[in-house]
Amino acid sequence: MLDTSPQAAAIAEVRDLRVHFDTKRGRLHSVDGVSFDIRDGETLGLVGETGCGKSVTGRAFLRLIQTPPGIIAGGSIAYRPQEICPTCTGAGCGACGQSGRRPEERTIDLLRIPDEEMRRLRGDRIAMIFQDPGKALNPTLPIGAQVAEVFLQHRSAEVLAKAQLSGAVGWAGGALRRMATQTDTRTDRIALAFPGARARRSALQSALDDMVAAALAETQIANPRAVMRRYPHELSGGMRQRVMIAQALACNPDLLIADEPTTALDVTVQARILELIRALQQRRRTSVLYISHDLSLVRRVCDRVAVMYAGRIVEIGEAEALFRDPRHPYTRGLLAAVPTAAAERGALAAIPGTVPELVNPPAACRFAGRCSARIGTCTTADPALQEISPVHSVACFLHQTEGAPG
Amino acid sequence: MTQPSRDIRAAAEDLLLSVRDVTKHFPIKEGALQRVVGQVRAVDGVSFDIRRGETLGLVGESGCGKSTLGRVVAGLSNATSGAVYYELSAADAARLDAPAADRTATQSAEIARIEAAHRIDHLRGESAIRFRRNCQMVFQDSFASLNPRHLVIDIVGRPLRVYREASGSDLTERVVALLEQVGLGRQHLYRYPHQFSGGQRQRVSIARALALDPALIVLDEPTSALDVSVQAQILNLLSDLQRDRNLAYLFVTHDLSVVRHMADRLVTMYLGRVVEAGPTRDIFDRAEHPYTRALMAAKPDLADGAAGMRALEGVVPDPARPPQGCRFHTRCEVATPACGWEVDDVVRWLEHRDGLFDALTGVARDSAFAARLTFADAAAARRLDAALRSDAVPAAMRAAIYRQELRGPTLDLAFGRVPEVTLTPRGPDHAAACLLTAQEP
Repeated sequence: MLDTSPQAAAIAEVRDLRVHFDTKRGRLHSVDGVSFDIRDGETLGLVGETGCGKSVTGRAFLRLIQTPPGIIAGGSIAYRPQEICPTCTGAGCGACGQSGRRPEERTIDLLRIPDEEMRRLRGDRIAMIFQDPGKALNPTLPIGAQVAEVFLQHRSAEVLAKAQLSGAVGWAGGALRRMATQTDTRTDRIALAFPGARARRSALQSALDDMVAAALAETQIANPRAVMRRYPHELSGGMRQRVMIAQALACNPDLLIADEPTTALDVTVQARILELIRALQQRRRTSVLYISHDLSLVRRVCDRVAVMYAGRIVEIGEAEALFRDPRHPYTRGLLAAVPTAAAERGALAAIPGTVPELVNPPAACRFAGRCSARIGTCTTADPALQEISPVHSVACFLHQTEGAPG
Repeated sequence: MTQPSRDIRAAAEDLLLSVRDVTKHFPIKEGALQRVVGQVRAVDGVSFDIRRGETLGLVGESGCGKSTLGRVVAGLSNATSGAVYYELSAADAARLDAPAADRTATQSAEIARIEAAHRIDHLRGESAIRFRRNCQMVFQDSFASLNPRHLVIDIVGRPLRVYREASGSDLTERVVALLEQVGLGRQHLYRYPHQFSGGQRQRVSIARALALDPALIVLDEPTSALDVSVQAQILNLLSDLQRDRNLAYLFVTHDLSVVRHMADRLVTMYLGRVVEAGPTRDIFDRAEHPYTRALMAAKPDLADGAAGMRALEGVVPDPARPPQGCRFHTRCEVATPACGWEVDDVVRWLEHRDGLFDALTGVARDSAFAARLTFADAAAARRLDAALRSDAVPAAMRAAIYRQELRGPTLDLAFGRVPEVTLTPRGPDHAAACLLTAQEP
């Protein structure tokens, strides 16, 4: 059903994902049977208009969907965590395909693991960059403390080792260990203020500061030590988004979910942030799910693109093939609606109508109501994704071959 | 474009709105007494004209003052200095633009007459009402600009009622006609704004703006909150309305692909000043200002093949202390020593150097171009002295320093004095504020 070539291993396989929401009007089928793979080291773009379910799909990876009202109604997200390649210890060798990582033997279903395990994955193996850094950062904490949290949650042992406190014993040792895992109590904080423990506490703090500064420097923040002391409101939008990226990439995740990371930014800043994500992704071979509504951006950033409409993927394929030869009427409509120099003024090809209501949708093509190329079958049956070339699949009856299912 | 052959100079006879040297400063207040400690120069000396029936695009990054200028043009806030004139004749425009220094008494009286009759903040009575009817605004956030407690019939009918154009069943019919023009209908009359989608709400905003049959609509990012397919619907609607009613638009946006599609002429702003103005096609074919070029490179058209995006270095400087010379020189790729390098550039550069900025204890300025920097220790001053002679700073900045003396912990710096770069003509109706391209034939 999908164009998964055997040699390209997938880091995550989404199968028939269904996320619904209970609303006053009934059950909203926000994501309704979405299947795709994110291949190892690729950037997969997920494009669509407001309300098509692209953000919900991204959030499902980290189970950041409030239940209730959300209901994970079905499907699975099989995720293969990766470990540092034992041969080259991350430098990149023949055995791991220059990635420095290799897939672990196990596969995790992200929708079914216990909350504790999900918590360990979040921010460590799978990270997320949110759309609005102004809202995603805590306004009451300085930047340094917010980035440090990632390390304290996921890299406590490393922080302690860097501060040469791994073997600390006694009451101070316990207090330090609790400080390094963010489980310290009021008593611990008082205990660590005593002269005997103060030096060790500041050693821990400075080791932590070093790690935070390194993470910020990675995102080309000039003078990271000064930025660490600032609060989010003191930074520009671009700087805030860099901080978010630093947070997301601090633990070198295998999979990065970028939910419209540049929508709130100026075009000039946007280009810089994209360059940054691209460079970091290529260097670390992180797989990225890039969620966006901006087609011209996705075209330049992504290896493969999936187009979503009303909770379904209508077309998926390699970016080059998809943009050169879009097959689904919705994809074509979206591309034609972008104002270009060539289009005559007042004659933009707007898609008539609006996105259908997703409460109890009928078994039909969701786009049928707005489609100019509608045929009889469109309103009576539901098209499934079908391959039209090895790198390109589309869910449309116009391109369905004989004897195909659905 | 709908009228590609429109002769720009012929249309210049009929200026709808003329913006002359407008500045808008916002005071920065500090302390318990709210003492004014500085001015944010949001708009700092901008002039342009809008002709009847044309679309003027106003582009720039956020914080460049484009929205503030839009509000001043619509009369929603008063300019700090300068003025906006409504319906100037070409002769009156020429009188206003003549140098003020050598005016005779009759000329001064003439100017006073023009000011009273056309300057929008001096208009009284009938003419003030006429201006307000003819200049409407559509805001970016349709949710915030429509009263959530009012029905569509109240929102769209309000201007008609205020100007006593209609009442009763006549009002209802007028509102229905307006809604039909924007692609809505009678069934939407008794709904609240929250019952509409974003695109439909923006249509309601447009219907409200159209109610009094204006000559000019200021569109402040009308589509940036909308999806691309809905944006296409709204842009088509705006074009159709313009054709049918000979409307003029001031289209304020940061989206170059939209402005390229919609605007006849384009004004690019940076830090409160116009850096380039001209016919849209000319500017897209041959942008004269490096900032305009950088904006275009940062957001290539979908159709421009696989052309890579080029990012712009640095951040927009503080508009309370705009850079000297050309305001863009701090981020410009092709900056020369004559572009206005100053002491603040050194200080800004220091902010990004670990340790050095903390060691800086004082900056005693003689002017923007000469100052004595005092450091906590001589070593820091030596480090800066060495850095300013090395490749760590832009070559153009290095070349602009004509005096650099190190005395213990202090460093005396002096740059060549550079006046503000002004707009110079580049072609028919095309002007740019850049030293570099001005010298080319």
